[in-house]
Amino acid sequence: MKPRNWLLLCYALLVAGLPLAGLGYALLGSVGLAGPLATGFTGRHWQALGADAGLLKSALFSFWIASVSLTLAVALALALVLGAQGTLRRRPFPTLLYVPLLMPSLVMGFYLFQLLSRAGWLSRLSFGLGLTHSVEGFPELVQDAAGVGIIGAHVLLLFPFLTLLFQAIYQESRLADYRQLAQTLGATPGQFRWRVAVPVLLRRAAPTLLLSGIATLGAYDIPLLLGRPYPQMLSVYIATRLQRFDLRELPAAYLAGFLVAVGLLGLILVLTRLTRRHAL
Amino acid sequence: MRSKLLTTLLALLFALPFVLLALLAVAPAWRFPAALPAAYSLGALRDLVAADNELLAGLGRSVLLASVVAVVATIAGFALARAITRAVRPGRWEALSYLPYALPPVLLAVLIQPFIIRLHLSGSVGGVLLGLLLIAVPFATLLLRSFWTQQAREYEQLARTLGCTARQALWQVLLPLAWPLLRTALFQTFLLAWFDFGLTNLLSVGKVRTLTVQVFTYVGEANAQLAAVASLLLLLPPTLLLWANKNALLRKTE
Amino acid sequence: MKNFLPLLTAATLLAGCDNQPARTPQQTLAQTWPQIEATGKGQPVSMQMWMGDPLINKYMSAYVKPELKRRYDIDLQISAGQGAGLAQTLAAEQQAGQPSEVDIAWINGETFYQLRQVDALLGPFVEKLPNARFLDLQNPFINTDFQQPVAGMECPWGNVQMTFIYDSARVASPPKSFAELPAFVKAHPGQFTIPNEFTGMTLLKSWMIALSGDPRLFQGKFDEAVYNKWSGELWKQVNASRPYFWKQGQTFPEQLAPLHQLFANGEVAFTFSNNDAEVDNKVNQGVFPATARAYVPQPGTIQNSHYLGIVKGAQHPEAAMLAINFLISPEAQLKKMDPNVWGDHTVLSLAALPPAQRQQFVQLPSRRYAPKREAIQDLALMEPDPEYMTRLFKDFRTQVIER
Repeated sequence: MKPRNWLLLCYALLVAGLPLAGLGYALLGSVGLAGPLATGFTGRHWQALGADAGLLKSALFSFWIASVSLTLAVALALALVLGAQGTLRRRPFPTLLYVPLLMPSLVMGFYLFQLLSRAGWLSRLSFGLGLTHSVEGFPELVQDAAGVGIIGAHVLLLFPFLTLLFQAIYQESRLADYRQLAQTLGATPGQFRWRVAVPVLLRRAAPTLLLSGIATLGAYDIPLLLGRPYPQMLSVYIATRLQRFDLRELPAAYLAGFLVAVGLLGLILVLTRLTRRHAL
Repeated sequence: MRSKLLTTLLALLFALPFVLLALLAVAPAWRFPAALPAAYSLGALRDLVAADNELLAGLGRSVLLASVVAVVATIAGFALARAITRAVRPGRWEALSYLPYALPPVLLAVLIQPFIIRLHLSGSVGGVLLGLLLIAVPFATLLLRSFWTQQAREYEQLARTLGCTARQALWQVLLPLAWPLLRTALFQTFLLAWFDFGLTNLLSVGKVRTLTVQVFTYVGEANAQLAAVASLLLLLPPTLLLWANKNALLRKTE
Repeated sequence: MKNFLPLLTAATLLAGCDNQPARTPQQTLAQTWPQIEATGKGQPVSMQMWMGDPLINKYMSAYVKPELKRRYDIDLQISAGQGAGLAQTLAAEQQAGQPSEVDIAWINGETFYQLRQVDALLGPFVEKLPNARFLDLQNPFINTDFQQPVAGMECPWGNVQMTFIYDSARVASPPKSFAELPAFVKAHPGQFTIPNEFTGMTLLKSWMIALSGDPRLFQGKFDEAVYNKWSGELWKQVNASRPYFWKQGQTFPEQLAPLHQLFANGEVAFTFSNNDAEVDNKVNQGVFPATARAYVPQPGTIQNSHYLGIVKGAQHPEAAMLAINFLISPEAQLKKMDPNVWGDHTVLSLAALPPAQRQQFVQLPSRRYAPKREAIQDLALMEPDPEYMTRLFKDFRTQVIER
């Protein structure tokens, strides 16, 4: 066997071995065949699924958060890379763009809670400036029904990273040269951006974009601090079930986890296929 | 002018967390409607240092663990991305790379723990390393997939045709070309390991006491001043690292 | 995938080199105390506990850890872990047939229930400890954990009672009883909420018992009829008051910590604690305003104890017993009860102590913001069966949050 194949084989073991084993464990757990207090085979938890709309609502809410966050972050990053190319090449960029990457999501959640909650810093400043006159007068920016706080946190975390990524791709695919070429050939800057640059950037960044989307779908710390108990994002939903006081409830948590994982896998397959088709 | 404005705006946006965290860290009893703290004290920092006498050892452990993960994941990712490009069905390998992310982190840790225990890796650095690499290697691989385009392969071919050895082609052509993406991969995988609490704490049953494991719980607790101190303790080392390495990080971009 | 198994085997062989000859729990427990002392000395002990409070962590790392080192040359390793996660880890270790990475676990009521469910505790061991003679084991709030007899399977460590905490600068006279609560909330909208976690469930349990008017209904095993009747009444009251809760009752804090932060920031006027002395601890740290006060509304709130358990698969059970024996010693308990250290009420019977030591407990610096223990002892309710909490937690979601 060639050395390269060994490399890929080891890789397959790493990325498929443990996750698939875990997925199998969750499946067995959901029918009472694995986990603490495994009772022996039972379809009870699968049957109970029909009566509970919680998982579906969580999934929909998570999709809402992930799609809005990713769209906003991509739009911001594209605007920066295409609209401020000159600025991005000068100091203090790109060091500046690395700074937000230093924030772990829990710290981001804590920071935004302290900044945006109704008794938070912004509310205190606006009270001091006479813009609002009470705690209740400040708009609801975290723990709100639409998830504005959660979306804000994810956009703040994502867009600098995506800007760096797009910028790296921009430089490495020599898009600046193409731009000159396009202009020499008489294309407007707008045509270059929309017909050449955006497709190239999106196509080449597709794997990482998909990954960011999936990571946002599975976010935990931020919705825990900035979200509501209902509707919950998927990870919070699963974690609540995993941490129930009664271990006999655990199969329901395994079931939810299994379904979420299978759902995400399906989504990944569809999306990778889609991006590949576009790449060809 | 527009450029200055943009720079200032982003600098403010990115500095704001540090400003607020720093204020919170030195402000006991700061509440609505005071726009600024009425009193300042380093009490929370003192409490935190007194509560744990191995913060420095934890810092060392964190740096070591995160560096190992970053270097291994980035090198492996670079090689793997190339191998995937040349494989018979690159699409399949790429899809496979997403597998660890189909399980959200809270779930992944719980579901792989029984197997880590059976591998006799529970409670050890080995188990933690395996768990972190499981997340970091496919991340780097997917990120670096963006590099191995037809173009990059043509450059490599061209270099070889012009008489470079494989090693020369790698060091003198490919690595400089890939550097912007490589440093993003290094940086992100380092942070991924640096900030990990869930996998590290669960798979090591609390025994691999990185800095993050030692102070992370405070961030989620009621004491906002302490949470801010803990947040800054987590943020400052990588910030310093970024600042110290900014020249190395950015040298090749021009 | 077929290459997976050989790799697993290789890794297993590589890693599995530190096996000690296994002892059965019976053999461990059959030893005399001098034998236990001899075996336990010089060993490491790993303990899992909640690590969110710097004062508690400081008590453990700056007092307990050096004392154990000095007395028995025991190296205490503390790590974060509790509740269902701990139970799942211990169960997974057991199923893999491997010794545990954990020796001692700090257990609060519902974890005891879970650990008994998976049979993860070593014992009975408490009567082996020399200091057990000081324990107040006649006290039903100490010898019974969520209606389950402790029976030597876990050692009492501290005793706490749920309190309401309010800001006296904003609320002149808080509701004195659960009966007054709905009218009070209606008159002061936006100041009150219920956290959707352990402390919030303790609040709901107390409220439900208050509505029934008869705490004895909730003693013994779970009673479906009692639960249905009184939880129904509870949801009626909660839902009627809900529009006057924080954020019009459209949402509830998922955890206690954010509620504490809302209270500290001045967004709500009430928070709660499962530890009657926590208000002193939080004011001392500058987290809560000095105007924060704690009290117990009529007809009372739940009082319970927290415990230390030894894991069945523990690698160092003898050292664990030595450590626990120290943690329930009069010195360690006295230190822990000081409101400036932790403020956790002792589980020792003062009557059983020598006069000099009894005097030290009496002379402890007293609580400044929390009610005196003697004042709330008559307002203490027993923990009902764990099933009540499980059901309240489920139904709070379906009957209130999701409505």
